Amino acid sequence: MLTKDLLQYKIQKGQIYPQFVNPADNQLLAIAEQLITVFEASPDTPRATLLESSKQIIDSTPGAPIVKRGLEKLLLDRTEFDTAPNEELIAFRHKLFTETSRLLSEKQFQDYADYQREVSRIMADESSTEETELSAKLYADLPSCQPVLTFNTLSAERLLHRYNAAQVQGLLLHCNTLMLKLADSMTAELRQLFKYLRFNQLLSTIRKEGELYEITVDGPLNLFYKTKRYGMNLANFFVAVLHQPKWELAAEIQFRNKQRYLLSLDESCGIKPVSQQFLAYIPEDIQLFQTMLQNKTNDWQIRPGSQFLPLTGDFYCFPDYQLVHKSGVETAIELFHPWHQGHLIARLNTLAEHPDVSLILGVSKELEKNPLIAEALETSTYFAQFGFTFRDVPTMRSLLPILNSLV
Amino acid sequence: MSSPLKINFDKGTLILQNVPEALESQLPDLRWDERTLTFRAPAYRYRKIVSQLRAHAIPYQDTARQFTIEPFTHQKAISPYPYQTEAIDAWHANGKRGVVSLPTGAGKTFIAILLIADTQRPTLVHVPTIDLMHQWHTVLTEHFGQEIGLYGGGQHELRDITVTTYQSAVMHAPHYGNRFGFAIFDECHHLPGEQYQYAAISSIAPFRLGLTATPERVDGKESRLYALVGECCYEARVQELSGKTLSEYRVVTIAVEMEDTERVQYEAARQTYLGFLKQSRINMGTPRGWHTFLWKASQTDEGRAAFKAYLTQKQLSFASTTKQEWVWKLIQRHSGDRILIFTQDNDTAYQLGTRFFLPVLTHQTKLKERNAFLDGFRDGTYSILVTSKVLNEGVDVPEANVAIIVSGSGSVREHVQRLGRILRKREGKQAVLYELVSKQTSEHFVNRRRRQHHAYQTL
Repeated sequence: MLTKDLLQYKIQKGQIYPQFVNPADNQLLAIAEQLITVFEASPDTPRATLLESSKQIIDSTPGAPIVKRGLEKLLLDRTEFDTAPNEELIAFRHKLFTETSRLLSEKQFQDYADYQREVSRIMADESSTEETELSAKLYADLPSCQPVLTFNTLSAERLLHRYNAAQVQGLLLHCNTLMLKLADSMTAELRQLFKYLRFNQLLSTIRKEGELYEITVDGPLNLFYKTKRYGMNLANFFVAVLHQPKWELAAEIQFRNKQRYLLSLDESCGIKPVSQQFLAYIPEDIQLFQTMLQNKTNDWQIRPGSQFLPLTGDFYCFPDYQLVHKSGVETAIELFHPWHQGHLIARLNTLAEHPDVSLILGVSKELEKNPLIAEALETSTYFAQFGFTFRDVPTMRSLLPILNSLV
Repeated sequence: MSSPLKINFDKGTLILQNVPEALESQLPDLRWDERTLTFRAPAYRYRKIVSQLRAHAIPYQDTARQFTIEPFTHQKAISPYPYQTEAIDAWHANGKRGVVSLPTGAGKTFIAILLIADTQRPTLVHVPTIDLMHQWHTVLTEHFGQEIGLYGGGQHELRDITVTTYQSAVMHAPHYGNRFGFAIFDECHHLPGEQYQYAAISSIAPFRLGLTATPERVDGKESRLYALVGECCYEARVQELSGKTLSEYRVVTIAVEMEDTERVQYEAARQTYLGFLKQSRINMGTPRGWHTFLWKASQTDEGRAAFKAYLTQKQLSFASTTKQEWVWKLIQRHSGDRILIFTQDNDTAYQLGTRFFLPVLTHQTKLKERNAFLDGFRDGTYSILVTSKVLNEGVDVPEANVAIIVSGSGSVREHVQRLGRILRKREGKQAVLYELVSKQTSEHFVNRRRRQHHAYQTL
């Protein structure tokens, strides 16, 4: 992610506009390519040497330095350095400092050079270290000296898209609430978006506005404070938005309790997805679920949840799975894990009043440790009929009786 | 019969169900949450909410509170100083909440230990640094003779008494904020920070203690501290304890002349820097001044040159050759003493460490070696320790009797805290703090302003 000093934006009439680079700009692509080449060749190179090499490119190529330093920062984020303690040096320092402490306590040195000579003499006897090597060796394990272990490379074009995404993420770090508008597309990407939302400990309110779903994303404490406490969560969540085919985003950005600015973006900004997780594949949990189901019955087909399910009023939920019986009967499953229990009691209350909604609830056994939830589950007639608990993944033994009761 | 009111803990907040309508407006910060269709309140309101329910004799089912009474017992016989007893009494009288303000070395940790045993509630101690976390861990283990938890710096172990960093607590309090009945905030002047305050907000702990030598903040946000922890219930100043429970001390300011070549470089760099400020109409006296300078400096080559010039003049005033020579003279003068050398930045610290072959302790020092340096300094294996900022706060090095401030941020708090490092009382100890100030530089004026603080007034 980019730090604030590397963000580029313009402010006009209360709106904040991130300044994107053109991912097809040949000049910039060439610079990105040079930087990537330096980083690709960096394993075993000390950090200071790597930074010196990239600085040469930044200083010697045309274009805004702030953009090039931003690219460098994103490449550094993909670089792993060897930070393990250097035991040999630690032992060397201990020996040296024990000696210098003794010398300085026991003896007066009129001249600093005398002291230096004395230290060098002792250490030369002790560890065969040459006089000139002492100073250079003393702190040779500082971060600037740490060698590169690995670099996770990427293409120049992808780096520029990553840069544009990071410009948005850098602003979202300073926001408290994010509003999203999404089309009701039947896609796995939408399901992943909600998974991301839960993993980032965020809460959402889903309403329908015309053909679009309006989703307000924030955290529990947003009810009381205009807090940027969830800024990092929202910034991380943004990568899931980029995978949606059609989206609109609005967020209020506020730097250090100053004036608030509105960030408005949609898919026309042209930023390509920057994370790999959303490529069209069947997630492992679905595969496992499918296999388990097929081993027990061929009557039901399972697929990832991919559409909103209307609840009460203008509220919606987004189930994890959808199940279709060969007779055409459809139902959905929403799973509650310990990291997103916030909605569970609300869901039980809603479903108690609207049992016509076809939604099966799966609740992690971990959540039963919470007495309030345990009691809510125990007293819910809806859960008794359409709910089950699970340890790691839902089992067919719990689910099948509920499914069979629907047909 | 209506269902009883229920209180549950959820991600640093409280969820309330079955709230009687008449009570909705009377419970502090209670709001309807459309996202979960429940009432919600910040976790730190737990005590007030429960008090209100009790006052109205309203039955409630409390599943938020996940702690019980724990009989912590001291393993060592301890007797507090009269002022420590006064502080403890004041905290109790204040409803087991509040900030105790005492100079460094006056035994704030000791007060906390006594109060942990008094309150008998699982306790979470918040500290600003990893070093302090380990120091508290050692002291608490010695005093209570039981496993003490560590949460932060790669450690994730919760116990009935646990020490955590503020940073870690901000991340994790939404998960464990209902497991502790007593929250201690060491160096609590940090708490009102934009993010750190959520460590206190997300906790239900009804009993709260703030410890600091300097509750005042330049941004005036100490009122936020008092709202989250309780009012300042006890305060004693350094002069009141000097010579009694703190060592006698003196502060010596040494005005240092730069070498001619450095002076020329300094003036040239300063001119470039000031010229850019003037040309760009940046007023560094305003709260936005620094950010505006950083922003404008990053936009052009001229700006970047100005920023480089800014760093050069700062570096020259922080670590001129003459200052280094003074450090050497003072090391010689205090041969046999235990000396702490403070710098503003890591570069200067390592420059001194490399030149004089001394141990340097910064945030870059790995944990094992940090502990070895501190232990070595305490037991006398090392008589001198160079540090930038990590020893500014709290870390206990009572053996130190000489501090040399080569450079600093200019804040009063920092200098008072650095002074505090050498004030821990020892038989016959006379503490001395040297400030090396470059003549005719901005450092000189900052020093003059700083000396208006009461810690300097007796001198």
